[in-house]
Amino acid sequence: MGVRICSALAIAAMLVAAAAGGADDGASDKVLKSTSDHAKFKVLQQEFASGPEVTRACLTCHTEAARQLQLTQHWKWEFLNPDGRRLGKKSIINNFCTSVASNYAYCTTCHIGYGWKDDRFDFSVQENVDCLICHDTTGNYRKAPGFAGHVVTQETEFPPGSGNRLKPVKLGPIAQEVARTSRDNCGACHFFGGGGDGVKHGDLDSSLASPDKSLDVHMDALGNNFACATCHMTAGHQVPGSRYAPTAVDRGGARLRGKEYKTNPTTCQSCHGQAPHKAGAAKLNDHTDKVACQTCHIPAYARGGVPTKMSWDWSTAGLMGLDGKPMVRKDAKGRVVYTAAKGTFVIAENVVPEYVWFNGRVTYTLLGDRIEKGAQPTRINHFEGSAGDNRSMIWPVKVFRGKQAYDPLYKSLVVTHMAGTDDTAFWTNFNWEKAVAVGMASVGAPFSGKVDFVETESMWPITHMVAPAKDALRCHDCHASGARLEKVAGIYIPGRGSDHSVWLEVIGWALAALALAGALVHGTGRIAAARRRH
Amino acid sequence: MTKTVYVAGVAALCLLGIGLHAIDAHAAGGDWKRGRVYYQKVCTDCHTAKAGGAIAPNARTMADWTAYLNADKHAKGKDSLRNYASREYRASVKGTNKAAEKYADVPDEQLFNDIRSFMLKGAKDGDSPASCN
Repeated sequence: MGVRICSALAIAAMLVAAAAGGADDGASDKVLKSTSDHAKFKVLQQEFASGPEVTRACLTCHTEAARQLQLTQHWKWEFLNPDGRRLGKKSIINNFCTSVASNYAYCTTCHIGYGWKDDRFDFSVQENVDCLICHDTTGNYRKAPGFAGHVVTQETEFPPGSGNRLKPVKLGPIAQEVARTSRDNCGACHFFGGGGDGVKHGDLDSSLASPDKSLDVHMDALGNNFACATCHMTAGHQVPGSRYAPTAVDRGGARLRGKEYKTNPTTCQSCHGQAPHKAGAAKLNDHTDKVACQTCHIPAYARGGVPTKMSWDWSTAGLMGLDGKPMVRKDAKGRVVYTAAKGTFVIAENVVPEYVWFNGRVTYTLLGDRIEKGAQPTRINHFEGSAGDNRSMIWPVKVFRGKQAYDPLYKSLVVTHMAGTDDTAFWTNFNWEKAVAVGMASVGAPFSGKVDFVETESMWPITHMVAPAKDALRCHDCHASGARLEKVAGIYIPGRGSDHSVWLEVIGWALAALALAGALVHGTGRIAAARRRH
Repeated sequence: MTKTVYVAGVAALCLLGIGLHAIDAHAAGGDWKRGRVYYQKVCTDCHTAKAGGAIAPNARTMADWTAYLNADKHAKGKDSLRNYASREYRASVKGTNKAAEKYADVPDEQLFNDIRSFMLKGAKDGDSPASCN
């Protein structure tokens, strides 16, 4: 009896062990993906009270990681333009939420660091580098606006007195699951640029976290499943392919393994070369010297069901409803198109890009640059290029139009203190003069005390959301009257309305008719003469 | 003899405990990204086409989803929920559904855990509430 019981228990134990072993298939996947299981590292087997504590633990093994990070644009938010001007999020003014300066605690939610709450942030402190924002795989790591990039690790009411309670983030389990970056990591900030999902870029939004092939052939979750880093091939934490240093023209071929390249690896050509179309469509290869790949292969942006903002009018901000509370308006689909804090928006999906010549140079209007309120909008940035400079290609762009605050006496864009719980923040008191005075003082810029609004526009390259070949543009999308490239100057495009000359076509068709008539007359004569001879 | 049986029994129960713990740990640590893809491309696609619309994970709480998943009742109890994550079901739709095709060979329990992980973390009170976008 005892032996039977013993045997039965042993069999049960073996069955359970087998079941547990069978359930380990997922762990096998994990083993195949990495040589390190971070859950086994003692230094990570603890509960962390703050982000910097996690970073300190990471640095015990990855000793140079923070130093690498601190050399990057992601850390500095700074870029020196080839024209010598200092750019980067830290310096520029855009026509979305306008400026980082004076709003650090909110904007730096998307900084890969902890604690950048004002202009005294110490960029040399290694433990302030945020490893988890790029290497979290759980999807549970998040940083709430207003905490200068810090993670909330204890339940917190924010803003204070609002009744809104923020759920704490458990850092220990997240630190134990770190791995290579994914679309979710990059997307945590880049999908939400401009203050919300899809707002800024138009070709980057949360639909790319898990897209299908029709949305993006490269990132297709069931196909190629590219991570961002597949194209933005990162070395030493330097991520190439920034829009501040765009490559408009790449005359190189497809890259070979083992060969060293010093050029930008994120271009289409770096994989597809200069003649990517097959023999049956070889005529398309004649376009690759003047037309960027994206022009034909991204027929529209914001195609994933998330709208992008196309314009933003700050001059209408500040309206209160009948109840005395800040007004909010929504469109028929329930999407916000007006808020008292931000003004009026136009949002759109499936947007056909505008097209411009682009040679890689971008010029900016910065704080202090003289601007005029007139018929032409102020260019926040502008893509340079022309048909004649031999360095340009025709590129698809999103042109974002808006109306934003400026100083009508000093004739300059302004820094506005938008966010904060203090009385001077625009989102608290809806008073432009007060908010701009504090914003301009924070950067030491002069302010007249008067605020007006000026029309602005900015350009954004369209380069994600690459459609399958079957959905790419067809000949008639450009070679026809009123087609997509109608406004692109300096180049002859057969079939295009502006290249359409009635007389030239009459003469051409007349010559063709004459040639046909001549051939028919000649042929008929030959046949008649031959019959006569026989 | 009785002592031997007792020791063997205790050892077996320990192993049983370890085994169950392993299964539980595995269930908790499903691949939420694979679960997300399956939820979107199989569950949501079908619901959108045939059942009047998608159901976002953040439409329910973690407790709601846990109860729903444990009950294993689909379409108000007409059939088993697990059936729709089974290899048999995937094989039946893989000709028209790329996600079913891609994950055709993933063990049933593993895929179900992946879906569970996504739904729980995406729940209204989950760590990362997820809408249909």
